[in-house]
Amino acid sequence: MDAIIHIDKVHKYFGHVHALQGVSLDIYKGEVVVVIGPSGSGKSTLLRCINRLEEFDSGNIVVDGIPLDTAENINAVRTEVGMVFQQFNLFPHLSVLENVTLAQTVVRKRKTEEAKNIGMQLLEKVGIPEKAHAYPLQLSGGQQQRVAIARALAMNPKIMLFDEPTSALDPEMIQEVLDVMLKLAKEGMTMVVVSHEIGFARAAANRAILMDEGQIIEEAPPNVLFSNPTNERTKLFLSKVLS
Amino acid sequence: MVSSNKTEKNQTGEKIKKSFYFDRWWLLLFAVIVIIILLITFKPDPFRRILLFVSDGISVTIYTTLVSFVLVLFFGLIAGLGRISKNKLLNGAATVYVELVRGIPLLVQLMFWYFAFPSVIQNLGSMLSISSISNYRANPILMAILGLTFCYAAYMSEVYRAGIQSISKGQMEAARSLGMNYFQAMRYIILPQAIRVILPPVGNEFITLLKDSSLVSVVAVADITRRGREFMAANFIPVQTWVMVALLYLVLTLFSARIVTWIERKTKLER
Repeated sequence: MDAIIHIDKVHKYFGHVHALQGVSLDIYKGEVVVVIGPSGSGKSTLLRCINRLEEFDSGNIVVDGIPLDTAENINAVRTEVGMVFQQFNLFPHLSVLENVTLAQTVVRKRKTEEAKNIGMQLLEKVGIPEKAHAYPLQLSGGQQQRVAIARALAMNPKIMLFDEPTSALDPEMIQEVLDVMLKLAKEGMTMVVVSHEIGFARAAANRAILMDEGQIIEEAPPNVLFSNPTNERTKLFLSKVLS
Repeated sequence: MVSSNKTEKNQTGEKIKKSFYFDRWWLLLFAVIVIIILLITFKPDPFRRILLFVSDGISVTIYTTLVSFVLVLFFGLIAGLGRISKNKLLNGAATVYVELVRGIPLLVQLMFWYFAFPSVIQNLGSMLSISSISNYRANPILMAILGLTFCYAAYMSEVYRAGIQSISKGQMEAARSLGMNYFQAMRYIILPQAIRVILPPVGNEFITLLKDSSLVSVVAVADITRRGREFMAANFIPVQTWVMVALLYLVLTLFSARIVTWIERKTKLER
């Protein structure tokens, strides 16, 4: 089976910092991959390279058969790849429903009615249809993040990327977001999740990956990686996260 | 008359309705209008005469300012986008334009557009022996609008640039990650937010432009200021003339300031 995301020897520099040092990774359809690692390890950078929010200096990334080279291809990939950010990045000047419908009408060229129907269904799915006409800044962090997930899903993506989706949330709001993500994983969505939510990784992930200093240090099924890590750096990192 | 700011908020959190905001600064405008009315009622000679003489300049000032401002909003945006462009050519061109224009007094620029530019065109026409160009005559109002726009678009581009850069990078990233291209992201996400940020400085630019439009009086445009000068030259009553002219400008600027404040309140973000 061909990988839906094929990452081949990707290098990325921020000035003198070698942020990604030849990362190669294949992710298959329906897989849920959780990426962990200390801050500055390049995990978010790797995620952002997949939809080319970050340019990389060498190597290849092919998403669903489309290489990330021309501007046209990059936009094509972006319509197939949904992204959820740490800071939600909802559009504060638009209502919740408009947040979910705008890209559908502008990019997918759907009729307003159709987009609204899809938008309302997705707001039901993430559990906040009653907030459809509220504005993002009137919502709690957990609610905003669930709207952000609905906004990404509205484009019918084949892949969802999550960049530390619960790191900016108050503890009592983390679970409501993880529940939505679990539901997605059970439905067979291909997901790449940068997160330190070990519980989520154990429950939903097929693979867990530890990155450090721009490299993949270890990858294994989550139960194996978290319980019996082989690499010293993995052990060290996990001892800090789990304590 | 005290300020009354009624806001209603319904349970579902739908857009808050804002009633027309009537703050105390309207009083200042009304005071100026009342002074003008009192002057022309109780001292019709010379104030009524001055007002009648100058009045056709009011529409010229308003027309010149409004047309220039609409053009400034458009070309300022283009120059502003050039200033934040990663394309070296666009960025360089926009930067040179802004730096040069900001460094030359507006009065000198207006002189150039009205006196020098037509003569350049004429010389060009006779060099190419095209009579329609060598006989070119400058239209004062057209040249004045050109001069004001050329100068103020540079100022406005900086306002746009600051406004766009004040919107968090995540907004552009979220828009692009949904598959929008750069212009869609600008049109639907960045600019609607940036415009709220820049409304106060844009309003300020408008009022400054309105006042600076008095400079066009030196290039044969019969605006309020020029009509005032003409009246003074014929009647030798400088104090009354310039008091009247100043009062007329005050009516226009105070009114504009109120409108800007009102628009700001109308467009405030919900939170």
